[in-house]
Amino acid sequence: MSRLFPPLILFILIILQGINFLFIPSSFEASGFIVTIHGVFVFLIMIALYYDEETSYYSFLYAIISGLVLDIVYSPVIGVYMFSYAVVMYVVHHLRKVLHVNFYVSSFVFFLSMILVDVMIYWIYKLIGVTELNFQDYFEQRLLMTLAINYIVFLIQLVLFKRLLVRYSFERFEQK
Amino acid sequence: MSFFRRKRLFTILISLIILVGLIGFSLRDREELSSVEEFIQDTVGSFQNVLFRPVYYVRDIVGNIDEMKQVYEENQQLKENLSTYQQKLYEVQELTKENEALQAVLDKTETITDYRPIQATVIARSPEQWFNQVTINRGKQHGVEKDMAVITASGMIGKIQSSAQFTSTVLLLNGFDRSNRISVNIDLPETESDAKGFILGYDDTREQLLLEFTDSYEDIALETTVFSSGLGGVFPKGLEIGSIEEVTTDQYGLTQIAYVKLSADIEELNHVIVVDRLLTSIDEIEESGDE
Repeated sequence: MSRLFPPLILFILIILQGINFLFIPSSFEASGFIVTIHGVFVFLIMIALYYDEETSYYSFLYAIISGLVLDIVYSPVIGVYMFSYAVVMYVVHHLRKVLHVNFYVSSFVFFLSMILVDVMIYWIYKLIGVTELNFQDYFEQRLLMTLAINYIVFLIQLVLFKRLLVRYSFERFEQK
Repeated sequence: MSFFRRKRLFTILISLIILVGLIGFSLRDREELSSVEEFIQDTVGSFQNVLFRPVYYVRDIVGNIDEMKQVYEENQQLKENLSTYQQKLYEVQELTKENEALQAVLDKTETITDYRPIQATVIARSPEQWFNQVTINRGKQHGVEKDMAVITASGMIGKIQSSAQFTSTVLLLNGFDRSNRISVNIDLPETESDAKGFILGYDDTREQLLLEFTDSYEDIALETTVFSSGLGGVFPKGLEIGSIEEVTTDQYGLTQIAYVKLSADIEELNHVIVVDRLLTSIDEIEESGDE
């Protein structure tokens, strides 16, 4: 179970990604905000913070795989999520080495990585011509609300999975 | 695992190459999905199909309760409409018969109006709204092919972007750009022929479609319905797309353009119909010619 738990939850979250629009109140759209729920990425942050050891790179590995699946299932352009998830998880993994994990630090890591990943995806899409939105509009319409909503997702996942992840991490790495 | 640590520069370079390669691979104008993509899409799609049934069921019930509040008013309105429909129904029946008889005289059995409907249910929507696409639970096995039109009861909503074996991706009308134009007809009240034009794309700020007329027409009334003309070679004729909201000229003042409001609500999608045009398109004729 300690091996299976992260990929299992990731798979469920990837599937759930398809009905995320049901969780976003329609008043958001009416007032011009567009929100993306990065449920999978939030869980990857959780893995990096609470499951991974310093020498294990599971969050990085899972980021590549789940990013690729998300790309194939939900967008016509392959590689964007895979690349940005992987790069940001790599950064998070290194941040974790210098930081002592507690609630405030993990919130900080969450905000930093979420901004990085969302801006990076926007930037790649802009580079290959999928969108022509300029940065200020993107910042106002998308990024701010996306951060707020995803922080709520983060808090929910923290309550649900943190203890389990820490326990499975212990079983996996310490008990040998 | 230590590979990632030691050869840092090397890894970054490799991953950049993979990124560019994958993006290039997927942006190319592809006819078919690769089998790996089909497999992953179908696997996720089948789980979604099963798991989301109860979710959508609950949503439908909540929606129904909401609608019940307005039932009385709607009922009054519908009763009024109904009386006018009886007359129309008779007319339509007569016209259909006449049409069939005339076509029989001409020995013409297939027209670009005919299509075979494939019923489908929306199972997922793209989470990031950079791409306006939804996934439906019908694929190649059910006869869904790339570029088929997708409609709801109230009008057209998009076209099939790619199809896997058991699921397909639909590109919604608000994701259309200049590379997927639709040839349309607009009914002119005064003259016998219709006004012709193209749907050029979607105006994000106005949330309306942009229509360019091929000719200059003077008497285009607002709220006229826009239909697909079937001349694009992919969609059948007569699918309702929307109604005209504003007629102006483009920024250089050379061509006449109009803004079209969609008939179908593309935000609230549930059951959709994939339209399989019966008359073979030019591509298919060419293909059978090659064999």
